[in-house]
Amino acid sequence: MSSTTEIASSFIQDAPPGELQDVVKDIQSLTSDTDPFLLSRLKPAFQKYNEEQLATAELPARTEPVIISKYNRLPDGRYFDSESNTSFDFDHVTQKASKPQSYTHPSPHRDLVASLQKSFSNYAHEHFPSATYGVYPTMPAEDSDTDSNSSSLALLLVSNRYSPGNFWNGRWRSSYVFSPGTHDISGTIAITVHYYEDGNVSLTTRKPVHMALSPPPVSSSSSSDDDDHATTVVAAEVVKKIAAAEKAYQIEVNTAFVAMNEEGFKGLRRQLPVTRQKVEWEKVGGYRLGGDLRGGGQR
Amino acid sequence: MSNEKQYDSALDLLRRLSPRDTSLNLNRITTLVPDLTEDLLSSVDQPLDVRRCAKSGRDYLLCDYNRDGDSHRSPWSNEFDPPIDDGTLPSERIRKIEIAANEAFDVYRGLYYEGGVGSTYFWDLENDEFAGVVLLKKAVSPGSKSSAAWDSIHVFETSERGVRASHYKLTSTVILHLANETDALGQMNLSGNMTRQVEADMTVEDDASHVANIGRLVEDMELKMRNLLQEVYFGKAKDVVGDLRSIPSLTEANKDKASHRDMIRSMNR
Repeated sequence: MSSTTEIASSFIQDAPPGELQDVVKDIQSLTSDTDPFLLSRLKPAFQKYNEEQLATAELPARTEPVIISKYNRLPDGRYFDSESNTSFDFDHVTQKASKPQSYTHPSPHRDLVASLQKSFSNYAHEHFPSATYGVYPTMPAEDSDTDSNSSSLALLLVSNRYSPGNFWNGRWRSSYVFSPGTHDISGTIAITVHYYEDGNVSLTTRKPVHMALSPPPVSSSSSSDDDDHATTVVAAEVVKKIAAAEKAYQIEVNTAFVAMNEEGFKGLRRQLPVTRQKVEWEKVGGYRLGGDLRGGGQR
Repeated sequence: MSNEKQYDSALDLLRRLSPRDTSLNLNRITTLVPDLTEDLLSSVDQPLDVRRCAKSGRDYLLCDYNRDGDSHRSPWSNEFDPPIDDGTLPSERIRKIEIAANEAFDVYRGLYYEGGVGSTYFWDLENDEFAGVVLLKKAVSPGSKSSAAWDSIHVFETSERGVRASHYKLTSTVILHLANETDALGQMNLSGNMTRQVEADMTVEDDASHVANIGRLVEDMELKMRNLLQEVYFGKAKDVVGDLRSIPSLTEANKDKASHRDMIRSMNR
């Protein structure tokens, strides 16, 4: 039998966009009488949820919120923002940031991060009405003895639309890891939509993405101007690939809605019988057992 | 009372967590609060299991309403599987209506579902009144990695309203699951359930009228819910995706809107 902590953790993992606090309230109602310290024991579940769902936090240093993910978590459990060069504490239960400090990531790719931020920001504003995004040099894994992890960059984007008054919420998440060494981009796009007026309807999608940049032009000189230029070109190219993949994906999803309606849904139940007539219930209900039910003596 | 509050919280939670995992989450909730088990099992609709009736060779659907202990009653044979001696059976009169309703809804199923499985169960209430449930299920797999399934659960109660009239209360739930997976699409899952209620007073000549009345109520309700599901699954859900990300550039879209506004303004001058 699962423990209370395991069960409550599974509920948190499954919370729809914008409804984490509602789920927490339900968990408290179902457990609080017997277990007042449950929330603190659920911290790992909250952290996993926040990092996977790309939770957002407000920072005093910037006007736009910042993303929470495993890619910008520091070894001491704080998170960093490469755009404002800040690190901060994050309370996973209340989703509030605090204690910001100046922080500069020791990445060899600081210029590339800045260029990617610029390109990715332009792209995000062009296609997402309310997106939070970030580009982070990934933290080297503690048990990793190669430096390949430290030399890749994560591009993350989350777009949330919450309309609890109309009983729907939605989230688009994109996560990519770009390796400047190999020019590979890999990641996932995921959409969640929840509709819950007198019901519970959920759309979930997940698409793995793998792309490679064409090899960079070989430059004969190595002046810093050329380096700047090369960095900008690479950043623009990465974001162009992502933009193309996301556009193709969204068109594919829209096509799938039509296909599911035409091929799946319509094959389940007809709108009307082939005859276009509704059922003549007096006939079907009565014609075989009518004798019995009507108390007549025909049978 | 804390139990009532916990019951409401359990229902709220099930309305939020993935509708694909209702059975699993129901188990988890009743592990936390075992006292809720009976109430939740009778009020939370889950996809229906199919069993073959040993006597008639026909398939029937399992739910809480034809269950007694660990056995389920077949609507075709009126017998429990696994067999039990003292299983609760409908009275003779109600069983007759149940048989007629199963016949009628079998025709209905053929006309609307062109396949699938259906079962209708009735049970006695006080004062010669009765209640019942109409169940319909169909699943298709249009492609090797795409699937679709519909479960409808219509629970009704009748009560007499004077001479030659009955009051019907119908609570209908449709559980609709759709899934698709291709290389270009990845995984896409569109699943859930919706519940609606209706009440009506209808004329009753004899017991056969009940079958026709319930038939009409269910037929109208399924048409209404089918349209509603279509709108939510393929309209609303798709619109929300479009609200999250815009395929055309937002600058272009806003420019178009602005020039449209300008044009209208200049025409109004």
